Amino acid sequence: MDEQHHLRQFLLFVFALLIPCFGLWTFASGPLALPAIGLVNIMLGNWYPDVVSALYAQGSEALLLTEFGELNGRPVSPALSEYQLGFTLDTRILSYSIPFYTALHFATHKKDYLAGYLQGLLLLYGLLIFGLLCLCIKELMIVLGPLFLEQQDVFVPPDSVIALLYQLNVLIVPTLAPAAIWAWQSRESPLAVALMGKAATQ
Amino acid sequence: MKRFIVVFVLVLVTLFTLEMLTPVQQHVILPFTALLAQLSAAIVLPFDSSVVAYGKILQFGDSGFAVSIEAGCNGVEATIVLIAAVVAFPGNWRSRALAIGLGFLAVQAMNIVRIISLFYLGNWNLDIFTWVHLYLWPVLIMLDVLIVFILYLRWLSTADTEELAVSNG
Repeated sequence: MDEQHHLRQFLLFVFALLIPCFGLWTFASGPLALPAIGLVNIMLGNWYPDVVSALYAQGSEALLLTEFGELNGRPVSPALSEYQLGFTLDTRILSYSIPFYTALHFATHKKDYLAGYLQGLLLLYGLLIFGLLCLCIKELMIVLGPLFLEQQDVFVPPDSVIALLYQLNVLIVPTLAPAAIWAWQSRESPLAVALMGKAATQ
Repeated sequence: MKRFIVVFVLVLVTLFTLEMLTPVQQHVILPFTALLAQLSAAIVLPFDSSVVAYGKILQFGDSGFAVSIEAGCNGVEATIVLIAAVVAFPGNWRSRALAIGLGFLAVQAMNIVRIISLFYLGNWNLDIFTWVHLYLWPVLIMLDVLIVFILYLRWLSTADTEELAVSNG
């Protein structure tokens, strides 16, 4: 009965907390993505200096500017074009893991909330940075094609790896990572102890 | 716990990589997605005469707003996560098969609610549609998976307790 009570309480709190958490995140997603955009900008600038010009923040979106221009729909040298080729990336498709994790974390009965929450956030933020990097690389591959993939003396992951990492980081990580971190941190909560007593002994 | 994590990650990455292979996409994922679209249309059409459906597209006849159900909107990734969790957790194969089967149905039922709700939301407000589609529904689908898995763990522990009570006489 105790386990049933914990489960009901958890589910009720999760659904109740999702609304304010997502509400807050909607307004805070821009500033939240800023450090990640800054870090990925440094990484890409050093990794692909001949291809990437800069990664800027534009609200909750990131603008990836390349070292190429565009002429008749094809990437060309900037000298041949009046424009610099760039594209926007939605950082929210990665950062919505944060309100989800927040709702899961605070819906669970625990002794200590803050330290665990900060650790979880740190982990999720690391994944957000990696996800944003994968997102940028996938866009570079799609938009620039051979100009990006066939660079000399620079490591470029194979196209299949780029595609797989992109799909993994967009389709699975933002929802799975919060649930996995929450499950790991809640393994000693009354609900988990009641449910996983058997597994804990194996 | 270590065994759970290793098996979970292995099964997850293997199934996800398999899902991404072109032949699997062509022969399994795309036909399944089309089936989901047809099922969603079959549910909506008797109640709403303004809706038309063709292939994987649902459209409002009056406003012209349409949604196309694509790979990635089919709950397959959520099912893969559920399969990985169930397989990684200690249990017999009969229980696992039952959990995966019922869990798959629960995820797909939720996914059809998702498709239909997004179809009506999009006709009403495109900004809200985008927000709910990209950020809120994936979380609700994952919560569905989490709840199914918790219920499976609960069922396992209840079955264990009953087994123990019977063996103790």
